Amino acid sequence: MTDQILSLFQLCDSNFPTGAFSHSYGLESYIQEDKVHDQASFLEWLHAYVNEQLIYSDGLASRLVYEALEKEDVQKVWKLDRMLTVQNLPRETREGTQRMGDRMLNLVESLYDIPVLSVYRERIKAKKSFGHPVIVFTIVGHHLGVPKSTTTLYYLYSTVSSLVQNAVRAIPLGQTAGQKSIQAFQGALIKATEKIQQLEEEDFGIVSPGLELSQMKHERVNIRIFMS
Amino acid sequence: MGDWTGILRLGTEARNGKTVANDVYFQGAFKVMRPVYHDDSGQACYYILNPGGGYLDGDRYQMKISLEKQAKLTLTTQSATKIYKTPQSHAYQEAEFHLKEGSYLEYIPDPLIGYQNARYKQKNVIYMEKGCSLLYSDIITPGWSPEGERFSYDTLQLINEIYMDDELIVYDHIKLNPASQNMDGLGLMEGYSHLGSMIVIDEKVSHELIDRLYQALPNHLNECKIGISQLPVSGFTVRVLANATQAIEKIFSELHSILSQEWFSKKPCFLRKY
Repeated sequence: MTDQILSLFQLCDSNFPTGAFSHSYGLESYIQEDKVHDQASFLEWLHAYVNEQLIYSDGLASRLVYEALEKEDVQKVWKLDRMLTVQNLPRETREGTQRMGDRMLNLVESLYDIPVLSVYRERIKAKKSFGHPVIVFTIVGHHLGVPKSTTTLYYLYSTVSSLVQNAVRAIPLGQTAGQKSIQAFQGALIKATEKIQQLEEEDFGIVSPGLELSQMKHERVNIRIFMS
Repeated sequence: MGDWTGILRLGTEARNGKTVANDVYFQGAFKVMRPVYHDDSGQACYYILNPGGGYLDGDRYQMKISLEKQAKLTLTTQSATKIYKTPQSHAYQEAEFHLKEGSYLEYIPDPLIGYQNARYKQKNVIYMEKGCSLLYSDIITPGWSPEGERFSYDTLQLINEIYMDDELIVYDHIKLNPASQNMDGLGLMEGYSHLGSMIVIDEKVSHELIDRLYQALPNHLNECKIGISQLPVSGFTVRVLANATQAIEKIFSELHSILSQEWFSKKPCFLRKY
């Protein structure tokens, strides 16, 4: 293991305070409808969320941002920041993601001195950009020289690991069932990363109706433990 | 790329409070009828016809619609858009809309029906200036299949890109692919067969209005599943999962009716077709 990978690990840690622990991306709606109630039904949801939504948004964006950084095409990075935001039609998940992007950017700015991050910060201040965790994460991965698909894989892992922690609290699942879920999902993460490498740019932003609806419906849930 | 099955170009402008066409051109399997004025508001309603009766293998359609300042236009179809099997290459439709300041577009096509082994891609690109209003809806439905399969189409892909003053403000991408997805699974169609989407953009859409629209929605949990959410600009999206076109149409026309009352103190026109 190289030091660069260890450095990127820091951003994947569920203790890295971006606020991911307060977002369920619609999972809470399914828990309240009793459609997700144990490890098996949680994994079914997780497979759908990762393969029918996340790979086409954050996943594909991670690859495209990395490629744009390699070509020093920052305009493309800002374009993806906007696309990520405007394709996220449910308000709660969109605004929640934006807040996470903002917090991650603050933290990372105090850890690294990367010029493009300062520009990102300026653009967000000027309301020219929105802020998204996958963009911050990928900028750091690229800066550290971690390979493209590894950066994407670690980003997906950090998302999944937070979601599992949230499921453990909300369903609830035992801590062991949580760890078993993470282990059971490792193959799916590798496959998802491979699929992202094969996607066309035109595939960006595909959403699955049920997942998106559950995210919209969450905005109307009165009793909740998550912000989305 | 110039090889189109059907082309339609419609330019409209407001003349003394009445919206009229300043440019109408169609060729091939696309046609528009003379405008209908359903009330005395001056809002023109155009019906698009597909004389071919459906979209076939490799068919390609193109539409360009423009609204000059203050023009008010309803655009709809005369009947459902039927996509038949496409063994060689998918059917395709692209539409471009240009809305000038103060104009209002209602684009309410009839449902899209995907028959057995149909593959279809549709792309709507809408350019709005600030102060324009838009009401868009679509409904995706599965067609009858001889084997009685619930989803016999292969792929239906719909993309909506909306720009305001040249900035992308909405990117809506639905791709239903029963050929490789488990449609009834969690997160997908979840036991429903029809998907309705509505997008409304207008400076007057407030959080409070969205709350009121939400209150007006039915809450019979089994008949349909509805979500409504605010866009990053003044406006909102609605998604509905249901098992019948009528169920979705009823919800959309209820929302449309509240909005028309709110904005123009009038009822929306009933788009009589049959």
